[in-house]
Amino acid sequence: MTDMNEVEILLIEDNPSDEELTQRALRKNNIANRLHVARDGAEALEFIFATGAYTGRKVENGPKLILLDLKLPKVDGLEVLKRVKTDERTMSIPVVVLTSSKEERDIVDSYKLGVNSYIVKPVDFDKFVEAVAQLGIYWLLLNQSLR
Amino acid sequence: MRRILPFALIVPLAIGWLRLRGEQSGYYNTEFGIALFATSTMVIFTALILLSARFLNAADTERKRVVEEIWELNEGLEQRVNERTRELESVNKDLRKEMFERGRVVEALKQSEQKIRTLNEELEQRLSELTDVNKELEAFSYSVSHDLRAPLRAIDGFSRILLEDYSDKLDDEGRRLFSVIRKNTQNMGELIDDLLAFSRLGRQEVMPLEIDMSKLAQSIFDELRSGLQGQALKFNIDSLPNACGDRAMIRQVIANLLSNAIKFTRPKRECAVIEVGSSANGTENVYFVRDNGIGFDMNYADKLFGVFQRLHSQNEFEGTGVGLALVKRIVNRHGGRAWAEGKIGEGATFYFSLQKEGGAE
Repeated sequence: MTDMNEVEILLIEDNPSDEELTQRALRKNNIANRLHVARDGAEALEFIFATGAYTGRKVENGPKLILLDLKLPKVDGLEVLKRVKTDERTMSIPVVVLTSSKEERDIVDSYKLGVNSYIVKPVDFDKFVEAVAQLGIYWLLLNQSLR
Repeated sequence: MRRILPFALIVPLAIGWLRLRGEQSGYYNTEFGIALFATSTMVIFTALILLSARFLNAADTERKRVVEEIWELNEGLEQRVNERTRELESVNKDLRKEMFERGRVVEALKQSEQKIRTLNEELEQRLSELTDVNKELEAFSYSVSHDLRAPLRAIDGFSRILLEDYSDKLDDEGRRLFSVIRKNTQNMGELIDDLLAFSRLGRQEVMPLEIDMSKLAQSIFDELRSGLQGQALKFNIDSLPNACGDRAMIRQVIANLLSNAIKFTRPKRECAVIEVGSSANGTENVYFVRDNGIGFDMNYADKLFGVFQRLHSQNEFEGTGVGLALVKRIVNRHGGRAWAEGKIGEGATFYFSLQKEGGAE
């Protein structure tokens, strides 16, 4: 298991099938080394802000990339996005919304809250793998982030 | 007349004094003088009486005249007053009648006002019900778009994983079976997308603008051309009149018609020909997309535009059967009609009409 302070990618996903598929896609492209999964919005916030079950963490060691699903139990995806993007310590972490929803409302709301990228999960698995690979390579390797 | 009184005193005194002077001067003696005095006094007074009598007479005549005049005027006035009274009475009667009528009209108006108010309340109720239903539909389609896709992705994904990781344990038949699974999930994904697009259309607002139809058709064809899979295709656009409508929706119409034309001319090994043209018809412009593809049986012409209606099996031609239904819905929203003509083996022409400028929806 990854040391909680060395997590590169935080995947926030409640659907176990999607979680497995995403992990597989990341692994296929060698970008899954330091991956941690949160299964609902509350757990995600606890992880990011080092509270509750994750008090051992340091917020500054935050993930390099957050993959966020929108429909999450307990705390909703957009709420998580808002919390991340309004806290000084975390607002610079790139957040990529990875969701089934193509609804305009969701896209608009996400961008209003400052999401870095919005990707609709394709039904076709090949395309899904490609999308995940592309975004992983871009945000972790190509894009110059703050950390 | 009172002026006579002083005269009555002064005159005799004056004459008396004159007589005395005359007598003293020796003109005449006392008896003569007194006789003179009496006579002259009588004469003067008679004259005075006569004068005043004339004066009085004149005044009296004048008075009588004036009185007569007043009498006449009075009678005239009375007559006029009577006339006016009669006029006023008749006007009053009319007014009263009118007031009565007005009263009736006001009553009728109050009743219709009440009816309108009731209708309005019913409408408001209906409106709020419809708004609720609409919200439910929105939530429903949101759920469809989000929740239905996830399991599909899992089915597709895990089939693929199986194919990859266990390819050595599968024979050709096994691999074929999995590809059937994947094909069906992809199909379902398209169905969901098309259904959503179709239902979303019903809730969208039409934003009418002027559209250059020739440019639009050409740009859509250029996009579609890239997916042509090596078909030999002859494409011809006449110069089309501008239309007034929602650009995104009309674009969908032309895209659907053109992609259908391309799809159904694929079997034509020799040159496939697709033509886009128009004709004017009174208040509308009729646009058409004509192809020389496999055509269709005119007996099924009315089924063409039904939702999920197809005239071919999935094996012959891919598609969900929503394309033409979408065309019809959009065109109807713009106040136009859609129809088609075709002949098996020879081709088909799909028409749609749009109002000429300034008449959309």
